[in-house]
Amino acid sequence: MSTQRLETRGLALGYGGAVFARGIDLSVQPAEIVAILGPSGSGKSTLLGTIAGVVPAMAGRILVDGVDVTDLAIHRRRIGLIFQEALLFGHLSVLDNVAYGLRRHGAPRDEARDRGRELLAWVGLAGYESRRVGELSGGQAQRVALARALAPQPAVLLLDEPFSALDLDLRQRLASDVAQMLRDQGVAALHVTHDPGEAAAVADRVVSLADLSS
Amino acid sequence: MPRWLRWTWIVPAAFLAVFLAYPLVVLARTVLAEDAPSTALHRLVAPSLWQVAGLASVQALLSTALALAVGIPLANVVSRYRFRGRALAQALVTVPFVLPTVVVALAFRTLLGTGVPQGFALVVVAHAYVNLAVVARIVGAQWSQHDPDVENVARTLGASRWRAFVDVTVPSLRPAIASSAAVVFVFSFTSLGIVLLLGDPMTRTLESQVLRQTSVLLDFPGAAATALVQLVLVTTVLLLGAAAARRSPTRRLRPVALRPLPPTRSGRMALRATVLCAYVIVLAPVLALVSSSVRAEGRWSLVWWQSLGAVDAGTTRIGSPASALATSLGFALVTALIAAVVGGLAAIAVVAPGRARFVAVIAMVPLGVSAATLGLGTLLAFGRPPLDLRGTGALVPIAHALVAVPLVVAVVAPALRSADARALAVAASLGARPTRAFLTAFGPILRVVMIASAGLAGAVSLGEFGAASFLTRAGAPTVPVQIVRLLGRPGEQSVGVAAALAVVLVLVTLTLVLLIDRLGTSARRTA
Amino acid sequence: MKDRTAILVTVVAGTLLLSACAAGATPEPSTPAAVSGPVTSPSTDVPAGDASTVRLLTHDSFAVSEDLIAALKAQTGIDLEIVTGGDAGTMVAGAVLAAGAPTADAIFGVDNTLVSRAVDAGVFDPYVSSGIDSVVPELRDDTAAGTVTPIDYGDVCVNIDDAALADRGLAAPTTLDDLVDPAYRDLLVVEDPGTSSPGLAFLLATIARYGDGWQAYWQQLRDNGVAVAGSWTDAYLGQFSGGGDGDRPLVVSYATSPPAEIVYAADPKPTEPSTSVMTDGCYRQVEYAGVLAGAQNPEGARAVVDWLLSEQVQADVPLSMFVFPARDGTALPDVFTRFAATVDSPLQLPADDVAAGLAAWLADWGTTMGR
Repeated sequence: MSTQRLETRGLALGYGGAVFARGIDLSVQPAEIVAILGPSGSGKSTLLGTIAGVVPAMAGRILVDGVDVTDLAIHRRRIGLIFQEALLFGHLSVLDNVAYGLRRHGAPRDEARDRGRELLAWVGLAGYESRRVGELSGGQAQRVALARALAPQPAVLLLDEPFSALDLDLRQRLASDVAQMLRDQGVAALHVTHDPGEAAAVADRVVSLADLSS
Repeated sequence: MPRWLRWTWIVPAAFLAVFLAYPLVVLARTVLAEDAPSTALHRLVAPSLWQVAGLASVQALLSTALALAVGIPLANVVSRYRFRGRALAQALVTVPFVLPTVVVALAFRTLLGTGVPQGFALVVVAHAYVNLAVVARIVGAQWSQHDPDVENVARTLGASRWRAFVDVTVPSLRPAIASSAAVVFVFSFTSLGIVLLLGDPMTRTLESQVLRQTSVLLDFPGAAATALVQLVLVTTVLLLGAAAARRSPTRRLRPVALRPLPPTRSGRMALRATVLCAYVIVLAPVLALVSSSVRAEGRWSLVWWQSLGAVDAGTTRIGSPASALATSLGFALVTALIAAVVGGLAAIAVVAPGRARFVAVIAMVPLGVSAATLGLGTLLAFGRPPLDLRGTGALVPIAHALVAVPLVVAVVAPALRSADARALAVAASLGARPTRAFLTAFGPILRVVMIASAGLAGAVSLGEFGAASFLTRAGAPTVPVQIVRLLGRPGEQSVGVAAALAVVLVLVTLTLVLLIDRLGTSARRTA
Repeated sequence: MKDRTAILVTVVAGTLLLSACAAGATPEPSTPAAVSGPVTSPSTDVPAGDASTVRLLTHDSFAVSEDLIAALKAQTGIDLEIVTGGDAGTMVAGAVLAAGAPTADAIFGVDNTLVSRAVDAGVFDPYVSSGIDSVVPELRDDTAAGTVTPIDYGDVCVNIDDAALADRGLAAPTTLDDLVDPAYRDLLVVEDPGTSSPGLAFLLATIARYGDGWQAYWQQLRDNGVAVAGSWTDAYLGQFSGGGDGDRPLVVSYATSPPAEIVYAADPKPTEPSTSVMTDGCYRQVEYAGVLAGAQNPEGARAVVDWLLSEQVQADVPLSMFVFPARDGTALPDVFTRFAATVDSPLQLPADDVAAGLAAWLADWGTTMGR
């Protein structure tokens, strides 16, 4: 059995029949943050989508905590996902956004909300619980998205250019904040970005997508 | 917000005051003069009236449920995915909605034969068929802006596919679903032609009661009471629909680009099956029409098509199809223009500050006004000297616009409501003048939905029969009027030529909708 | 396009102004004048019908050959403008509401079930065409006491798909009584009298025939599986086996439907219609024309009523509208003389009785039929 949080073996990426990367072997250790660097359009998002289960793998296996999840549905893979935009649920309050994943994993409403409050405080948004998500700034929304993704304690967190929609200033501040928060929690994360600076600042290890595929 | 936004409501309000409220007031003054207030009250609580209202409500609820059940999956496929034949599928769905009801009823009869008994179930199915476009268009317009990654996020948080749909997609579509459900309910609740043609003794609507009270019994106070009850019930439903639509999530403003079909085989199969079903559902009655138009004496024949130009030449009976087509297209164009301006401004009022947004609800009211009532009122108000608009040819497009404005509002308002007010603030903070900021924030989405709704309005006008049947001059019938006249007489020709004309109407409508959709798509691309 | 827009803008602006005036005015007593519309404004004043224009209000099944309209213009200088008011009932409803301040000058197509209501409401400016002496004797006095002029008549009768009946080994029914014979179970389709003109005529025929026993008769019809359609189109083209793809060989329609079947058949025309008419239990419908009270051009309106009764128009009536001309001795087209049923003793009810009893009859019919 592997001790890797996330492992891919001979993974091939493609969309709609066309394969554009194959033989990807990748692993993320517990509490490790790995950055994947590549220009836009190089298939980074497809890699994350394939690991998350949004896009089917063309070939190869995906293992989470040693379990083969290649054929599992998205919601059974224990993988968290954060996009360039926060994509919060507009009809729910900030707190209910964070509590959503816990509720889906069977936590009672009050327990989910208590845990949600803790997480909100942890991302620095205590007091924002009952706000509507439309009232948040871009940086705040991305912090909520982080709390939401981590609430159900995924084995691995996938971050797809999470800061690229923000101003440069905010981007740098938030990137280091997030890296710190992930380390505090001991979360394993796979972070894709086109920005070498961001990759270096956030990750324990930086790999280029081009190097990964055979 | 730019200051002029406060005043956009004036145009729709004035339009409705002049062409809706004024005729009704004129009518009410004529009718109610004969009636003592106590009798009037007595009429309003008549059990027979409420029995019909109850029955019609059940019928309309079932029709709405069925239209949603078929229309929502269709909206999903047609408004979000890129595939060959998408534009055609989208346009085809609109066709049933704009066919004259008598043609729809006849197509159903031809298709199903006499094996399927007329009655409640058939009426429900026909209503769902006709209103599929309302659901597919309105929900589709909103769904096309829905980022599928929001659902994927919910999936990674532990939601199953179905759960994510219910938890995330449905709430963000809620304004559109509520809006379209209210419209479908109202259309089914006030339906006349389909109820008369496919219903049985137990299937009635208040509208058919009004018709009977006005044109058979000449019982105007009774008809007024029925029409009033219908108006109140319909307005209530529309208010409920508007209330359900109002609290909507804030989402991305930009329309999301069409996506390729999903990568998984099962996903592709499901979507293809949906499109196929749509084709079958929409096309089966249309094909029945086509087949009626090329069969004579039990053989394949083009005789009805060949006689299309010559039927009843030299009499005022039917009129030339070519000139009727020109008349219909002219009306459709003017209707699209009026409806887009009036309806668009009414819909913009929903994002305006203050009480102006109430206008968006008021603009829906024409849906509840009994067509027979409004027709008679219009005749009294604008059909005779000194105020005679009949001669100008304006009455028909105005009447059609009254029908179309609510649809425009139903399409535009949810889209605007869900547009991100933050974008407005951002644009303003960047130093844009208010009007500029408004156009930056709402312009792209406004352009897309306005084009779509103008097309819908034009298509409605092409298929409308009731108003055209008594606001026109005999020399210039529209295509639906010609069709209904043909179907009012015996002989093989009546069905054959009527079917041929209906096929012409389908083709014209299809072309119009395809053209409009193309305009809309290019607007969406540049947006 | 631009012109239309300009017209629209003018119209909208003008009517806005007018409705403001109307709203400001205190409601007058409910004389017809009170609904004649608001004060004229020069900006929207459509030229009121000049002396040569006559507006003829009619229902949507009215038709006449275009050269007759041209001939009218040539002979009298009258420009005939035909305005449709929906179906016959809706047209009369509109005329009653506008009584005294009409939307046209003359009216054609009020039938004998509604005429007394229209007369009572003051729709007409009494006028009987000078041609009335040439009308068939039984209609000569049918003028609502000198108010209207009969123009045409027709009979609503049960029509029969002979071949379909023969296939079932049945002889054609010959009387209303036959229709409740179990042999004809599930074979008849009628129209709802509340929504269809022939449907109403058939109900009146049964009342004329059976008097107080009419409800019992309908009970028997119901027990014998009669189908009720919402409209003539659905009954005849939808459910009648002789008119479309339906499966019922008996339908309530017109005595002139068989000739229409020939005229509107595909070429080559069949030599004989496949349907026939049961000449018992037919209800006679008469259509009248009249001058509308308050007409802008009463003189022209009278001329148009005369024109409707003229030899030329009367000769045009059979093939234009599939009814019999009121004018005595009018030559009928061949297809009429051969295939239109002649009804010797049509049923009829006095117009006043119809006006008085209609609402109750329809309600009772509804109860009997379980509506």
